[in-house]
Amino acid sequence: MKFSKKLAMAAVAGLALIGTAACSNGGSKSSSSSEKIPSKITKKTTVVFWHGMVGVQQSTLQKLTKEFEKENPKITVKLENQGAYNDLQAKINSTLQSPNNLPTITQAYPGWLWNAAQNDMLVNLTPYINNKSVGWGSAKASNIRTELLDGAKIKGTQYGIPFNKSIETLTYNKDMFKKYGIKKVPTTMEELKSASETIYKKSNHKVVGAGFDSLSNYYVLGMKDDGVNFTKNIDFNGSTSKKVINYYADGIKKGYFRVAGSEHYLSGPFANQKVAMFIGTSAGEGFVKQGVGNKFTYDVAARPGKYTMQQGTDIYMFKHASADQKAAAFKYMKFLVSKSSQLQWANATGYIPVNNNVITSKEYKANKSTKLPAKLDSAMKNLYSVPVEKNSNAAYTQLNSIMQNILSVAQKDQNVNNAINTGKSKFDAAWKQ
Amino acid sequence: MKQNQKKAWLYLAPTIIFVTFFSIYPILRAFVMSFQSGSLINLNWTGFSNYQYIFHDPEFWLAIRNTILYALISVPVALAISIMLAWLIFSKVKNKSFFETTFFMPYVTSTIAIGIVFRYIFNGDYGMLNFLLRALHLPAPNWIDDPAMSVTTIIIFGIWTSLAFNIVILMGALRNIDPNYYTIADMYGASGTEKFWRITMPQLVPTIAFLLTMNIIAAFKVYTSVYALFNGQAGVGNSATTAVFYIYNKFQIVGTPGVAMAATVVLFIIIMFVTFLQRKMMKKIGGR
Repeated sequence: MKFSKKLAMAAVAGLALIGTAACSNGGSKSSSSSEKIPSKITKKTTVVFWHGMVGVQQSTLQKLTKEFEKENPKITVKLENQGAYNDLQAKINSTLQSPNNLPTITQAYPGWLWNAAQNDMLVNLTPYINNKSVGWGSAKASNIRTELLDGAKIKGTQYGIPFNKSIETLTYNKDMFKKYGIKKVPTTMEELKSASETIYKKSNHKVVGAGFDSLSNYYVLGMKDDGVNFTKNIDFNGSTSKKVINYYADGIKKGYFRVAGSEHYLSGPFANQKVAMFIGTSAGEGFVKQGVGNKFTYDVAARPGKYTMQQGTDIYMFKHASADQKAAAFKYMKFLVSKSSQLQWANATGYIPVNNNVITSKEYKANKSTKLPAKLDSAMKNLYSVPVEKNSNAAYTQLNSIMQNILSVAQKDQNVNNAINTGKSKFDAAWKQ
Repeated sequence: MKQNQKKAWLYLAPTIIFVTFFSIYPILRAFVMSFQSGSLINLNWTGFSNYQYIFHDPEFWLAIRNTILYALISVPVALAISIMLAWLIFSKVKNKSFFETTFFMPYVTSTIAIGIVFRYIFNGDYGMLNFLLRALHLPAPNWIDDPAMSVTTIIIFGIWTSLAFNIVILMGALRNIDPNYYTIADMYGASGTEKFWRITMPQLVPTIAFLLTMNIIAAFKVYTSVYALFNGQAGVGNSATTAVFYIYNKFQIVGTPGVAMAATVVLFIIIMFVTFLQRKMMKKIGGR
C-alpha cells in the first residue's frame, strides 16, 4: 500500500519535471521572420533534404545532387529517404513538434503542411525567388509553369517550389485497339465507355476495357468536369455526385470497367493484357514500359475529359534553419528546377518537367524512350489540383476508400445507393475533424 | 506491518524511472491529449468533443467491431488448434524436435514477409488457396479484394500466425506434467480421451490462461498483419480497419492527435475490461 503511494508520488514528480521541460521547449519560438538573405555561401553548409523517391527516381535525384555539390563545393546536401509518401507525411507530422529535428527542406504535398503553415513554421519563398543572387529575380524569370507554382501555395503564400510533378494520362494497348477495331483514342468519358464496351464484348469478356488507378482522382475530376469544385460543400448524395459514381459503377456491373484493388496500380494487369487501357499517373510510365517489354506496343494519350490532375510533391523549407542553410537550400532548389536538371529528371523518371523551357524544348519532345513527352503539351492543357484547405487532404484520402466500397458493391451487381449513403456520412465526417 | 527497506528504492530506481518516463507518462499524456484538439504543435482544450467525434464516426465503430471480432474468433480458435497440434506432436509423433522446429519457424519470420507470401496465396485470380478450392469444386471467394471477406481473411491469417508461439509454449507445459499421472491412469485402464480431459487439460490451465491473456491483448493491438496482407492499407475500402489502424491514421496522417488519443483511451478501457473478465473466468475454471 505504502509502496504504491510512493510510486505514485515519484511518478507525479517525474511528470512535473517533464511537463516543465516541455513547456520551456514550446515557449522558445524563434522570431526571425525578416532575415537577410546572404548572397554567397562562404562557410561550409549542410542542407538536409527529406524525400520519398525510390528506384530510378532516387538514383536520378542522387545524380543531380552530386552535380550540384560539384558546382557548389561549400554546400553539402544530405538526402534522407523517409519511405513512401505516407511514411514521409507521418514523419513530418510527428517531427513538427520538435522543430530542431526537422530537415532544412522536404518534399511534401501542400495539404500535409497546412498545420505547419498555420503555425508559422515554413519559410515564405517569395523573397528568395525575387532575390537576384540566390533566386531568379522574379517568379516569371524562373520559367516554372504558373499553375504548378500556384499549386505550391498555402493560403496564398508561396511556401513551395514544384519539383516532381505528374499528371494523369491514359495509357492504352495499341495492338489491342487495332485488333478490336477501335479507331480513335477516347478523348471524352463517353468515348472511353463505348471503347471499353466494344473491347469487352469483342474479346468475349476476356479483356476488361478500362480502369482508374486513383479513385479519389476519378471522383474529384469527374465532379470538376461537371463544374463542381472539391470543397466541403459537395453533396455526396446529390445528383451530380451520383452521376459520376454511377458511370464507374455501371461499367463495373457490366464488366467493361475494373479497379486496381489491393495491387494499387493497373500497370500490372495492363502488362498482362487483362485490361486494354487505364488512367494513371504519368510517373508510372517507367513501370509500364518495364512490364510491357516486347509483348505489345503501348501508347500514352491525354486523360479523357477536360481536366487532368496535377499531382506530385513540391519542395518546402522549414524556418528553424540558419540563414546560410536557407540560402544554400534555395540554390539547390533552383538547381533542381533548372532546364538541364528538369530535362534529365523528366526523361529518366516520367515526371513532367516543371520548367516551361523544357516542355517546349526539342530535346524533350524528341525523347523516344518514353511516350509521354510528345503528348505532354496537349495532355496538360487544363490542370486541377486538390485545393489546400483544412481537412481537404483527409477528405481526398477518404474518398478512395469510400469509392472502393461503393464499387465493390457494384462488383456484386447490387444496388449502390446504400453504399453512397454510408459514403456520404464518411465524407462529411472527414471534412469535419 | 513490515517496513520496506530503504535501500530497495535505490535498486528499484532505474526501473521506476524508466517505467515512469516510458510507460506511465505516455499513458497520462494520451489521456490528457484526448481532451485537446488541434495539431501536435498547437494543442488546445476542447473538453469531450474528441469523444463525441469518435462515437459519431462510422469508421471508428467499424474499427472496434473488426477488432473485437478478430480477437473473439481468432484467439480461441487458434488456441484450440494449438492444443490439438501440441497434444498430437507430444503424444503421437516421433522426431518431436523436428516438428517443433517446423512449427516454430513462422514465429521467427517477420510478419511483413509472411504477409506478402499470403497475399499471393490468397489472391482471387491466381492464388494457391483458390486453386485448391476450385479443384475441390468449392466456392473460391476473392479473399483480398472483396471488402466483405477481408475480416475473415485477417482472422485466418491471425490464427495461422499465432499457432507457432502457442505450440511451443504448450509443448513446454506438456513436458512439465508429471509422467507418473499417466502411468497410474494406465494402471487403472483409463482411455486416451479420459487421460486428456482428466490429466492433461487441468494441468495445462495456467499455461492456457497465460496464452489467452497474451493472445487477447495482442489481438486487440493487431496492425502489422493487416498492413502486410493488404499492401499497406486496411483492406479494400478500409474494410479491415482495426483500432490501431484508426489511431495511427488519425494521429499521423490526418493530423488530429486528440481524436487518436480519445480512441486510444477507449481501446485501453476495452482491453482492461476484457482482461479483467478473463482473469475472473480463468480463476473460476482453475479453482474448480
